[in-house]
Amino acid sequence: MVHAFVRSLALMAVLVAVSATAQAQEKLKVVASFSILADFARNIGGDRVDVAMLVGPGGDAHVYSPTPADARNVAAAKLVIVNGLGFEGWLSRLIKSAGNKATVATATKGVAPRKDKAVTHDHKHNHKHSHDHEDADPHAWQSVANAKVYAANIRDALIAADPAGAEAYRRNTEGYLAKLDALDRDVREAVAKLPAERRKVISTHDAFGYFADAYGIVFIAPQGVSTESEATARDVARIITQIKTQKIPAVFLENVSDPRLMRRIAEESGAKLGGTLFSDSLTDEKGAAPTYIDMIRYNIKALTSALAG
Amino acid sequence: MGALTFHDVTLGYDRHPAVHHLSGDVASGALLAVVGPNGAGKSTLFRGIVGMLKPLAGTISLSGANARDIAYLPQVADIDRSFPISVFDFVSMGLTRRTGLFGGIGRKERDSVERALGAVGLTGFEARTIGTLSGGQMQRMLFARLLLQDARIVVLDEPFNAIDAKTSADLLDLVRRWHAEGRTVLAALHDMDLVRATFPDALLLAREPVAWGKTAEVLTADNLAMARRMCEAFDEGAAACVVDAPSSARAA
Amino acid sequence: MIYDVLIGPFAEFEFMRRALAGVLTLALGGAPVGVFLMLRRMSLVGDAMAHAILPGAAVGFLLSGLNLIAMTVGGLIAGFAVAILAGLVARVTELKEDASLAAFYLFSLALGVTIVSIRGTNIDLLHVLFGNVLALDDQTLLAIAVNATVTMVVLALIYRPLVMECVDPLFLRSVSRAGAPAHIAFMALVVINLVNGFHALGTLLAVGLMVLPAGIARFWARDISSMMVIAVLSAIVSGYAGLVLSFFTKVPPGPAIILVAAFVYLVSLLLGPVSGLLRQLFPAPHLEA
Repeated sequence: MVHAFVRSLALMAVLVAVSATAQAQEKLKVVASFSILADFARNIGGDRVDVAMLVGPGGDAHVYSPTPADARNVAAAKLVIVNGLGFEGWLSRLIKSAGNKATVATATKGVAPRKDKAVTHDHKHNHKHSHDHEDADPHAWQSVANAKVYAANIRDALIAADPAGAEAYRRNTEGYLAKLDALDRDVREAVAKLPAERRKVISTHDAFGYFADAYGIVFIAPQGVSTESEATARDVARIITQIKTQKIPAVFLENVSDPRLMRRIAEESGAKLGGTLFSDSLTDEKGAAPTYIDMIRYNIKALTSALAG
Repeated sequence: MGALTFHDVTLGYDRHPAVHHLSGDVASGALLAVVGPNGAGKSTLFRGIVGMLKPLAGTISLSGANARDIAYLPQVADIDRSFPISVFDFVSMGLTRRTGLFGGIGRKERDSVERALGAVGLTGFEARTIGTLSGGQMQRMLFARLLLQDARIVVLDEPFNAIDAKTSADLLDLVRRWHAEGRTVLAALHDMDLVRATFPDALLLAREPVAWGKTAEVLTADNLAMARRMCEAFDEGAAACVVDAPSSARAA
Repeated sequence: MIYDVLIGPFAEFEFMRRALAGVLTLALGGAPVGVFLMLRRMSLVGDAMAHAILPGAAVGFLLSGLNLIAMTVGGLIAGFAVAILAGLVARVTELKEDASLAAFYLFSLALGVTIVSIRGTNIDLLHVLFGNVLALDDQTLLAIAVNATVTMVVLALIYRPLVMECVDPLFLRSVSRAGAPAHIAFMALVVINLVNGFHALGTLLAVGLMVLPAGIARFWARDISSMMVIAVLSAIVSGYAGLVLSFFTKVPPGPAIILVAAFVYLVSLLLGPVSGLLRQLFPAPHLEA
C-alpha cells in the first residue's frame, strides 16, 4: 500500500521534471544512418542533440532492412546524417517514404573516395545503389584523417539546422578533433614499430581500404575461402600457399564459419590467427568498440599484436 | 517325473485361451505326436514349452533342463532368406549352446557340421547361400541345425508340411533315430496315417485336451469327432473362466 | 604426372594428409557397421540420428555454451537414448525397428528445437557441431582412431549374435539371451560412429561413408565377410579419390567423396556380378550342373 503510494509520487515527480525540461529546451532531433555516424553526432552535438540511429551496433548497413520505428524516427527528425558513397542503398527510399522535410547531410562530402577494388563482396548485396559514385569504397571513416572531415561536415550540418548552438558545436568539434589527432598519431606510431615486411595481413573484410592507404598495412584477400560456400581442398591449399609464398604473418578470417578450419590453416601455414576486426559498425557499451575512437584503437591493437614478431 | 510336466496350463493371446487347462506328464524319451484340428493350440503349446509365450495360468516345468536346451523347429520360420549367409554358417548356429557365442569353430566342430549335413543329405551344399535353397532343402537344413543342437528335448511344429515325400521320409528317419537315442520328441502333425505308423504316443488337442495316451486309444473316431466340434474362433463375448472339473487324461 | 595428381597433394600439404587419415580410419569402423545397417534395413538411420542428437547438443550448449566437447557428449547421450529406446520398443512390442526409431527421433528433434528456442538463441547448433574434413586437429584424429578401434573390437565380439539376429532371431532367442545385448551394442556402435563422424567430418561424409560402401558391396559379394571387406575398400577408394578431386576442382571435399562413392555405386549397380542390372539383362549361359 505504502509502496504503491511512493511509486505514484515518484511518477508524478518524473512527469513534472520531464515537462519542465521539455519547456526549457527542445533537443535537436537528429537521425544518423549507423552507429559510427551516431557516435560522431553525439560527440559534436553534445546535449543539444537527440541522436537516433538506424543501423544499430553489430548491424550490417550494407543489407539493412528498415523497420517502421525507423520510418517514425526519420519522419520526426530535423537532420538526417548519412555516410554516402553508396553505403546506405536503402536510405533514400526510406526518406522519401517517410515524407520528410528534413535536411540530409552527407558525412563524406569532400572526402576523396577510393575505387572499390574488384574484391569478392562477401555480403549478400541486394541493395540497389544510386549510381552517382561509380562503385566507390564507402568505408572512408577507416582513415582518421577522413574522420576529421566527417566531424567538420557534421558540425556544419548541425549549425545549419540549429544556429543557436553554433558556439557549442564549434567548441565540441575542436575538442573532438584534438582527440582524433592524438588517435592518428598513435596509430602511425604503432605501425612504425612493426618491421616493414610484416605489414600485411589476410582479411576477408573488404572494408579496410582507406586504413591500408592511410597507414601502410596491406590487406590481402584470401584466395577462395569465402564465408558462404563450403571450402574446397583446393581453396585451402591455395590460401596456405599464398600465405607461405607471400610471407604473410597473420590472418583475420573471422567471417569463415569454421574456427577449426582457420586453426588448421594457421598451423600449417605458420601464420598467426588474428582476432576480430571491427569495420562497419560499433559494438554496444559492453563490447570492445563502443565508440569510434575505441574501435580504431582496438583494431590497431589487434593488428599489431598479430603482426609483432 | 517326466521330462516335461504341465500343471493346469492355459496359454493364449489377449486373455483368450488357445490351450485351456492342460495337465500331464511327457515321459522322458517319449515320441509324442500332438494332433488336432487347425486352431487347436498345438503351435501355441509348443511356444509355451520353449518359453516364448508365458502361460496365462498354470506352469510348465522341465525337469532339470532349461528352455534353452530344447531344440525347436517352428512351423513358419522367421528366417531372412535374402541374408548373405552360407548353408554351412547357418547350420553351425546349432553349435551355439556348445561353443558359446564367442567360441571358435575348430576342426571338431567343422566335422560335426559336415556330419549333420551328411545326415540330412545336403553334402556339397556348404557354400550355397540359403536364398538359393528349395523348400525341401531348407527344411533339411533346419533339421541339420537341430541335429547339431544335440538337445534332450526336440519340439517339431508341423515339420513335414509342404515338402516332398522323399524328404519327409528321410527326415522321419532322423526322428526315429532321435527316439532311439533316448531323446524326448514332440511333433505337431496333421497326417494321421503317419502318426499311427510312427508315433507310439499321441495327445489329441482341441484347445482343451481331448485324449492323451497310446496312439491307437487316442485316435478313435469318437475322439476325433469331439475334437472337430471344437470352435475355432475366439469368443469375444466370453466370460472369465471359472475352473471346472479337469477333463484331461493322464499320460501312460 | 600421375604422381602429381595422386600423391602430390598429400605430400605437400599436411591438412590433406590429415584428411586422408581421417577418412580412412572412419571407413575402417563405419563401413562394416554400414553393412549390418543395410542388412537390417536400417540404412536411413544415419539421417535420423543426425536429428536425434540435437537435444543432447542443445543441453550441452545450455550448460556450457559453445563448448564442443560438452555438445558432443550431449549428442552421444541423446543418440544412445534414442537408439536404445527405439530398439527396446521394437523388441518388446509389435512396433518394428523403423517406426520405433522414427517416433523417437522426431520426438528428440522437436525437443531439441524447443530447448534451443526457449533459450532464445538462433545459432545453428547443429552447424556448429558438425565438422570439416579439412580441419582435423590432433584431438579429432585421436577420437576417430579410438572410435575405429573400439568399433572393430566390439563388432568382432558381437558378430555371431548379430548375424543370428538378422537371419533367424527366433532361433537366437531360443538358444541364447544375448540377442538383446548384442542389438544394443550394435546400436551403440552406430551412434558412436555417427556422432564421431559428424564431429570430425560432417553429416554428409559420416552417413555417406557408412551407407554407400555397403550398397556397393551388395553387388559384388554373396557372403557377409566379403561384403565387409569390399565395403571398407570402396570407402577407402572413394575417400582418396574424392580428396584428390576436391584438391583439383571447385568441389568441396565432403560432396566430392560422396560423389565418387555414388559413381562407384552406379557402376556396381550396372556391372556387379550379384544382381547387377547388366548381368540381369544379359545373363551368361547357364551351366551344365
